[in-house]
Amino acid sequence: MRILVFSHYPDLAAELVSAGSGLGDVSLLATSDMREAVSGIKGAREILICEGVESGDQETLVELISGLASDFDVILLSGDRRGRELVGQVAHRVGGSSAVDASGLSVSGGNLIVERMTFGGKAIAVEELALPAVVSVQKGKFKPLEEGEPSIREISPPSMERRIQVVERREKPKVGVPLDKADIVVAVGRGFRRKEDLKLAYDLADVLGGVVGATRPVAADLKWMDEEVWIGISGVRISPKLLIVVGASGQQQFAAGIMDSKVVVAINNDPKAPIFEQSDYGVVMDLYEFLPVLTEKLRKLKGV
Amino acid sequence: MDIAVLIKQSLDVQELRVDQDTGKIYVEDAPTKAGDIDLNAAEEAVRLKERLGGKAVALMLSTWGSSGRRQKEAREALTRVLAMGLDEAVLIMGEGAERADTYVVAKALAREIGNRFQLVLAGEGSEDNFSGLLPARLAAELGWPYVAYATSLEVEGDVATVTRSLEDFEEVVKVKLPAVISVTQEINKPRVPKLMEIVKARKKPMDAKNFSSSEEPKVRIRELRVPKVERKRVIIEGDKDEAAEKLIQALKEEGVI
Repeated sequence: MRILVFSHYPDLAAELVSAGSGLGDVSLLATSDMREAVSGIKGAREILICEGVESGDQETLVELISGLASDFDVILLSGDRRGRELVGQVAHRVGGSSAVDASGLSVSGGNLIVERMTFGGKAIAVEELALPAVVSVQKGKFKPLEEGEPSIREISPPSMERRIQVVERREKPKVGVPLDKADIVVAVGRGFRRKEDLKLAYDLADVLGGVVGATRPVAADLKWMDEEVWIGISGVRISPKLLIVVGASGQQQFAAGIMDSKVVVAINNDPKAPIFEQSDYGVVMDLYEFLPVLTEKLRKLKGV
Repeated sequence: MDIAVLIKQSLDVQELRVDQDTGKIYVEDAPTKAGDIDLNAAEEAVRLKERLGGKAVALMLSTWGSSGRRQKEAREALTRVLAMGLDEAVLIMGEGAERADTYVVAKALAREIGNRFQLVLAGEGSEDNFSGLLPARLAAELGWPYVAYATSLEVEGDVATVTRSLEDFEEVVKVKLPAVISVTQEINKPRVPKLMEIVKARKKPMDAKNFSSSEEPKVRIRELRVPKVERKRVIIEGDKDEAAEKLIQALKEEGVI
């Protein structure tokens, strides 16, 4: 099998090379502005560098990847927003099958077999994809390889008329340790009555050296926190060692985003909240009463 | 300018029952509805139409079979967006649609869209599967540009200005129409129709069409299974001091603090 992989993010590109190497020979595609960033990635047979295309130009990337596709059986892309934006377009351009967010990949009977989460995290689907297949891969599922020096091949850019023009790019403020990389996360839900009260959660996170995330209502509807810290299937999926969920009921959309957490603690005053089903330890108590006590005891324990 | 809005008949995943012990997933029993993000797409279409004139039409291709119940739910979902202010709806249903994947659905919807619309709006992902593949495939089938993750949208003449939200930055792009644009939930707050509007919506045109396709799907679902998430589900008792101490002790034993 011949596998083509591409991601805007070098760390994800390394994961894709690893995912692809389980299926066959991997070619890693990069635009010329990514030349340095991908130079340390091991395990691909070759790196294709396309001169004259900028990685932020999605429209040209669709053209470029679709143009290369006839030499490949499987195209792997990353599960970030731009990666997912490419999947359907490239798949359709090459008359291929598609899937997003694969957590497992294998080959059987001339098809690509993909495992992925569906129904808001309530089910895992095992899908048979006809070749060529275009698939985005879930972050963190494949460990970058440590060996295998690729050869470098320069390729030329596609010529095309562009209909999308990027007129402005505004960096989003960095939120410190990104949620998906944090070891300890405190997740806040609508049990908090006022934005100022979130301080209770920040105090707890500070003592533990963790970061604060939020459910969709808190981030997207109430806009108390940035969208970047919204935990859930359409937001960030997290996998901390310790997750403390405070005042969140545990809606399906949120539950799917926390499934990979190691230890989950729930604090909620409603004993019937579904979050207790998804937790290792539950405390049925008013968060306004319980959090200050917990934080204070932890502070003494940690001596901070 | 005429706008098409893609409305998916999504499984209501909140209501979907799964049995952890037997691994059974009760898909047939779960109700379906218009996805939440689809409502954002409908809202945006209504707002654009109010400013720019033209018609806004809901398109649905139902892939849940043609039982009386699923038909009724599909019509309810479309009535909901008609009540929000869309003008017409097209409902495509019929034999073979249950097996249709995004490849087949994109082809069928493209035939319906033809050159009748200048803009197609959709949610960034459906409520039940959240792949976002369909609008991307539809754009490729129509040969139109595709811009995903819109958080704001303005149209002037034949150019749409879209602000879109990516992981590290926001991007403002200008795209030449016709185009397919998918929206996020941040783009607006969908209006909640009043009873009167729902009553009126039932009289709006809803064109039922028979699904037909010569294309073979490229994806087949081999198996659906329940993910195993093992949780201890220990409820910690006692007053606030006792509970806090017991919790800290448990977390120490887990080795996470």
